[in-house]
Amino acid sequence: MAIGKVAVIGSGVMGGGIAAHVANAGLPVLLLDIVPPGAKSRNIVAEQAIERLLKTDPAPLMHRDAARLITPGNLEDDLAKLADCDWIVEAVLEKLEVKHATYAKIEAARKPGSIVSSNTSTIPLRDLVAGMPESFQRDFLITHFFNPPRYMRLLEIVAGPKTRAEAVRELDAFCDLRLGKGVIHAKDTPGFIANRIGGMWIQSALQAAFDLGLTVEEADAIMGRPFGMPRTGVFGLLDLVGIDLTPQVAASMQRSLPKDDPYIRLYKDRPLIAKMIADGYTGRKGKGGFYRLTRTATGRVREAIDLATGQYRPVTEPTLASIAERKPEALLRHADRGGQYARRVLAVTLAYAAALVPEIADTIVAVDEAMRWGYTWKYGPFELIDRIGVDNVLALLAAEKIAVPPLLKQAAGKSFYRTADGTLQYLALGGSYAPVERRPGVLLLEDVKRRAKPVARNGSASLWDVGDGVLCLEFHSKMNALDNDSMAMLAKGLDTVKKSDGAFKAMVVYNEADNFSVGANVGLALFAVNVALWPFVEAGMAEGQNTYKAVKYAPFPVVAAPAGMALGGGCEILLHSAAVQAHAESYIGLVETGVGVVPGWGGCKEMVTRHVTNPKRPGGPMPPLMQAFETIALAKVSHSAAEARDTLMLRASDGITMNRDRLLADAKAKALELARNYQPPKPVPLNLPGPTGAAALKLGVNDLVRQGKATAYDAVVAEKLAEVLSGGDADITEETSEDQLLALERRAFLALLHEPKTLARIEHMLETGKPLRN
Amino acid sequence: MKNVVIAGYARSPFHFAKKGALARVRPDDLAAQVIAALVERSKIDPKDIEDVIVGCAIPEGEQGLNIGRIVGFLAHLPLSVAGATVNRFCGSSMQAIHIAAGSIQLGAGEAFICAGVESMTRVPMTGFNPLLNPGLAKDYPEAYISMGQTAENVARKYQVTRTDQQELAVKSHKKAASAQAAGKFKDEIVPIKAKDGTVDQDGCIRPDTTQEALSALQPAFDAQGSVTAATSSPLTDGAAAVLVATEDYAKRNNLPVLARLKSIAVAGCAPEIMGIGPVPAAQKALKRAGLAIKDIDIVEINEAFASQAIACMRELAIDEAKANLDGGAIALGHPLGATGARITGKAASLLAREGKRYALATQCIGGGQGIATILERG
Repeated sequence: MAIGKVAVIGSGVMGGGIAAHVANAGLPVLLLDIVPPGAKSRNIVAEQAIERLLKTDPAPLMHRDAARLITPGNLEDDLAKLADCDWIVEAVLEKLEVKHATYAKIEAARKPGSIVSSNTSTIPLRDLVAGMPESFQRDFLITHFFNPPRYMRLLEIVAGPKTRAEAVRELDAFCDLRLGKGVIHAKDTPGFIANRIGGMWIQSALQAAFDLGLTVEEADAIMGRPFGMPRTGVFGLLDLVGIDLTPQVAASMQRSLPKDDPYIRLYKDRPLIAKMIADGYTGRKGKGGFYRLTRTATGRVREAIDLATGQYRPVTEPTLASIAERKPEALLRHADRGGQYARRVLAVTLAYAAALVPEIADTIVAVDEAMRWGYTWKYGPFELIDRIGVDNVLALLAAEKIAVPPLLKQAAGKSFYRTADGTLQYLALGGSYAPVERRPGVLLLEDVKRRAKPVARNGSASLWDVGDGVLCLEFHSKMNALDNDSMAMLAKGLDTVKKSDGAFKAMVVYNEADNFSVGANVGLALFAVNVALWPFVEAGMAEGQNTYKAVKYAPFPVVAAPAGMALGGGCEILLHSAAVQAHAESYIGLVETGVGVVPGWGGCKEMVTRHVTNPKRPGGPMPPLMQAFETIALAKVSHSAAEARDTLMLRASDGITMNRDRLLADAKAKALELARNYQPPKPVPLNLPGPTGAAALKLGVNDLVRQGKATAYDAVVAEKLAEVLSGGDADITEETSEDQLLALERRAFLALLHEPKTLARIEHMLETGKPLRN
Repeated sequence: MKNVVIAGYARSPFHFAKKGALARVRPDDLAAQVIAALVERSKIDPKDIEDVIVGCAIPEGEQGLNIGRIVGFLAHLPLSVAGATVNRFCGSSMQAIHIAAGSIQLGAGEAFICAGVESMTRVPMTGFNPLLNPGLAKDYPEAYISMGQTAENVARKYQVTRTDQQELAVKSHKKAASAQAAGKFKDEIVPIKAKDGTVDQDGCIRPDTTQEALSALQPAFDAQGSVTAATSSPLTDGAAAVLVATEDYAKRNNLPVLARLKSIAVAGCAPEIMGIGPVPAAQKALKRAGLAIKDIDIVEINEAFASQAIACMRELAIDEAKANLDGGAIALGHPLGATGARITGKAASLLAREGKRYALATQCIGGGQGIATILERG
């Protein structure tokens, strides 16, 4: 039975977030909650939850319209509707009696064979199903989402001894393919995988900071970025998730863990934390937390709490020498209290993780994935041990007087992961290596790269054979900024496919960095302008335009597969591709005006063409230009792939992949599908209004300047953009060709590069990463 | 010269564009309902109507295709009744009255429907396809200046403070609210059938507005300026119509004679201070009527913006106590093409209600113009 309709019971932060994410996947979802006493609208709780979803930042919904897929209801009138649902998620209070009462209602209403799951994070499955009928137990499991469900990749699934294997398979496939989650099968143990280890990490970092007398700034500077952990560190993280959660998690761990568990032995109540919670200092949701922002006469000041006195004082930059160490291993060896802190926290945390396999997970791979996806660690504990060195960690444990778990002992002189025979392998329980298994249908470039040498490579990009006649262009410059080398490799890729005699049928543009591409390397442009290398700048413009044009008119399909940011020149590749297969979390936009220029590699041309030829557009010459103008002038970046459809940066025929690990396979499939009987597009000449239209576009800009919503220089840039988009000197009776539009782009781009304020914008962007409003 | 009279006045409720109760009503349906009600209420034999002249500031989209003729069909007027659309931006439907008066003087008809309509929800203020003359836009950008900027220019040039503007806005809302509460709009409002039921009350009036509340708003058009959303008339959906006839015809057919047209005028001014347009227009009309401002008992001056309404009243020495007795456009709303018929019809009915002799209806017009009508009763 395929899952086609979902119900979520409980519309709190988690329930609402799960419902939103099911809607993100395009499925209808019923959201039920209680009828509060004296309520006017009986669905008020669920209705308000949906309203909250539309206001929350970061947005739980990938598109506002997805909210329409969520139907609010209540647990008194709407239970019968559960009979239509294939999957019912319970996300009510973490109280066993409340859950049992809810299950009784669900069991009475649901259809046979529907799947029921709980989002519990603290109650064992055996307690949840105790006393429930067999039929319920067969269809029941735990699906533990992380907050916020849209953005956190981890989903822990726990099946009970009676759970149907088919139910587990079905839900696993649904959560993987449709919800895009990183599904990890966990066991019915306290805190499952991520919170068990994460809880220990947080608790040990907290206790050690008190014991060793570190400031919260020092602790966070160490137990964060240097080890690939969230840059907030532990105290910043607690502020984010709510400090009041700490004693609750501890209490639940104390209830369920044996007394000799290292967590129980390490845990200590800290009066300061109890006082902070009692006084409402619960973190960002409260009056403040370990950090807070205070308004003073001179503006807002960020303060941190002194762990010894409980008084706030302005945040100070930590000056510990250990923090300056670039390598985790060197930091761990440092003599100062920063080094001491790192040793204590990591020794406890890493030993704990190593001691828990296979108790909480069958393999180290599952543990590493859980910590990466659930706690946004860059490296899971075993990957981190490899980076530090297994033997160094063994020495560390000896120094910290912590017993060495057998798994770690077994790894002595080795590493937990290795690449052999072109595959990634991990150290299995018996002491031998086993291949890291990918889920069926998953294709990762990192695996391709282990197996083979690149078809071609330079400093910024490589070409890979990803099989079945598909060539993959990978960018790998810093932030994937595009430079001459990237452009040359793109051209080489096109040439390689063309000259392959049919060995290659298509090309995908894809990489596995955080961001697809942040756009052209503006640093190079700035350098060239500063030394007046105008011919170089002009050549770069023309080269980019010609290469992108070659992408568009290639006799085979080019499919771009972005994930993360695809900005400026990175976005322009998408616009020139035969198709796009985007990861759902793609942030796409033409942001050139932010650095004082206009899109110059065909972005203006493509956006005008898309808007003018859009069959759904309103009549007349101006509406399409106004839409393209607004999108580009305001440097709008979509907050998801779904939103990029609103600005036509994605077409209806472009695909969206929810699971990051499936993006390359989907892009490849799309490319091969297009490659059958592929016909490149034909250029579409446009009838554009020319100066008449530009005058109209400029009209609104000047008003924005007066209103203080745009600067005078924004207007200068916008006016150049208006001239390009409206076709320069065109008249509505004449046709404007793509090449004419490209020439207009070049002219406007170069003119703006002569402006000191554009150069100031570029410099500022390079220095701060943020746009300058000059 | 024949005597030309206003022999009936009706309007739709006025509502905020986009979020108001008339947002889902097509402007042609809106105007047709008002016209049909006016015909029915006045008991005129529709066969006697020469022409339906509809003022509209942005006559395109649902307001296009000669809406003047379309509304005749929709209101089930006899096919013999002609229909035209007239555009003088905000002065459009007052212009419709002037055209009828001129035709009557030439003996080209005895009775006219002069209406106006604007759905600022359904047709944007710049139109769907603004296509400016690029040469003019470059050499004389004032020609296309936005209305908000002109309000700021007038405020600066005539030294109308933000407090003055807010005071007018507060008073406008108070007057409109008390008129509404006293049922004074009941006779003029035509209940409109909308998709979600009948709409029979105005929707823009904010009775509880105060200086303090308005002081908190950010300037709407110029970060350094004084004009806010609250001291500007809102974007509005609405329609209005008057019946214009010869006095002979009206009396012969027992039509309610509200007032006689005494004089009319239009005048141009600099577009960047278009809000001052009523000053030269009213001065011309007064001169043509042989009257001085002190002779005028009732004034309906359109409050496109508080700044320009105040500047005009000061320049014309209008006694505030005589102006906009039931509130102005800041409170009621300003559906561009409909306003001229509303304030002329309103001025005529106020003469009747208050038992006064002379009224002035005047308004400013984008692009730098003013229009004025002087009415007489008795």
